[in-house]
Amino acid sequence: MDKIWTIPPKLRHHGIVNHRGLLTLYRREMHRGLKIWGITLAAPAVRALLFAGIFNLIIGDSNNVVLNLPYIEFLLPGLITIAILERSFESASFSMIYDKTQGIFGDVSMAPLTPGELIIAYCAASATGGLIVGVVVWFVLLPIGGQLPEEPLALIFFATMGTLIVGLLSQIVGIFTTKWDHLVGVQTFLFMPIVFLSGTFFSFDKLPASIQPFARGNPIFYIVDGVRYGITGYCDSDPLTGGVIISFCFIILLALTFLLFSRGFHLYR
Amino acid sequence: MKEPITQKSRSSVSDNNGKLLSGHPVVRSIGFINWRGVWSLYVREVMRFYKISIQTLIAPIVSTLIIFVVFIVSFNESLNGKIDIPLSVFLVPGLIMMAIFQNSFANTSSSILVSKIQGNIIDILMPPLNPFELTLVFTLGGITRGLLVGLLCALAINFIVEIRLYHPLIIIIYAIFSSMMLSLLGLIGGILAEKYDHIAGMTNFVIVPLSFLSGTFFPIDLIPESWRILAWFNPFFHTIDGFRYGFTDHLDGELWIGITYILLINLFLSYVALKFFSKGYKLKN
Repeated sequence: MDKIWTIPPKLRHHGIVNHRGLLTLYRREMHRGLKIWGITLAAPAVRALLFAGIFNLIIGDSNNVVLNLPYIEFLLPGLITIAILERSFESASFSMIYDKTQGIFGDVSMAPLTPGELIIAYCAASATGGLIVGVVVWFVLLPIGGQLPEEPLALIFFATMGTLIVGLLSQIVGIFTTKWDHLVGVQTFLFMPIVFLSGTFFSFDKLPASIQPFARGNPIFYIVDGVRYGITGYCDSDPLTGGVIISFCFIILLALTFLLFSRGFHLYR
Repeated sequence: MKEPITQKSRSSVSDNNGKLLSGHPVVRSIGFINWRGVWSLYVREVMRFYKISIQTLIAPIVSTLIIFVVFIVSFNESLNGKIDIPLSVFLVPGLIMMAIFQNSFANTSSSILVSKIQGNIIDILMPPLNPFELTLVFTLGGITRGLLVGLLCALAINFIVEIRLYHPLIIIIYAIFSSMMLSLLGLIGGILAEKYDHIAGMTNFVIVPLSFLSGTFFPIDLIPESWRILAWFNPFFHTIDGFRYGFTDHLDGELWIGITYILLINLFLSYVALKFFSKGYKLKN
């Protein structure tokens, strides 16, 4: 009898975490974002520069002070945060919907990756992408009134938590939606209003008192405020409270994403 | 046996031997303009954006409203002394115009580019439509979406600030001409582009900066003297300025210079688009 399988294919063993699979997915996600760097890196930088330039022009020499800061210095951390969060939101959701509509999501769901590993890979890609965009935008805004971070540790914490929270959010959106149309809907009707009305461009003192509690319930506000604290050293709310609220949000979203991935809601058909 | 040829079958087609054959499709004679073709393509262009109206009609309204609110809350105090009209009234026309710009551009450019990438551009090039008709229809599609979005934005903003019309005719003229300009730009961009990246690049690095720096958000007096001349060469400045004149009676530039300039640019862009279509540049490969 012929022995066809003299050397049987070896089973690759991995421990608790499938490192190679995780890294492969992470690298693919990163590659997807960086390949179109014109859209993912240069465009946010130009947009932030435009916003900063125009606002600088409008405010001009009128000494408009927000939170003990000249307006432009108040504004720049907000612009950086917006760029970071937008990138993080796009990364996982766009990737997942693209895979779904092209029918190649099986390549991800069939691979020996547990829900936890999927989440880690997608989150890591969101965080890396978002932080790269953040650094680029920060660098571009330096000549307009940017500065070196006053509290680097706080900055790193809040920026990373922001990318992770929005990254998880984007995975949830990616799981639920099946069409580009729905994704764009979520982006314009939910994500953009939350981000733009989160105290990026104005201090909440300017809002009517009746709206303020709602505005302060917006978790994105604490991210923006934390990043502002990290860069300028001034903030609207207590950074410690903000950190706790954000961490709490992160844990809830993590649990929800884990549940959705393990149920395979709208994913494994 | 073939049927005998009668006088009635005038519309029939002859075979190789010159004999008339009945039962063939009738050749539809076309006049100067192929109206049916134009209408079909126009309906297709409109249905293209109507089918995804959440993205194409509703989303621009929401983003316009967000920017409007952000600007009012942030700058109401600091700009109030610098313009002779309230900031909210000043901003409205510029924001509507920006929505018109972006949507007119997006409509034509994405239409051509998607057809090119999916390979069904042939369905547009094969039918008996000449370059003039093609340019006309695509531009009309872009104008339709631009004006529709502009109208919807105006209605939505009207809930927050009352919009007054000082010179309705000027508003209409400027809206049509500027959406035409951006549709033509989108058409040319769509023909030149080969990937989605290219169109995104044009939007991000040309259209958005030009429209942001054109006096949408601030009166042109705020620009330093030496840079102001550059604003005069920016056609977007003239469109927004004239449009704003229709709403507020407030003019930064010159009305007739602006409209002549835009008309000339429109003529030039139409010529370029016509040339591209007749040469089949980057279309008939």
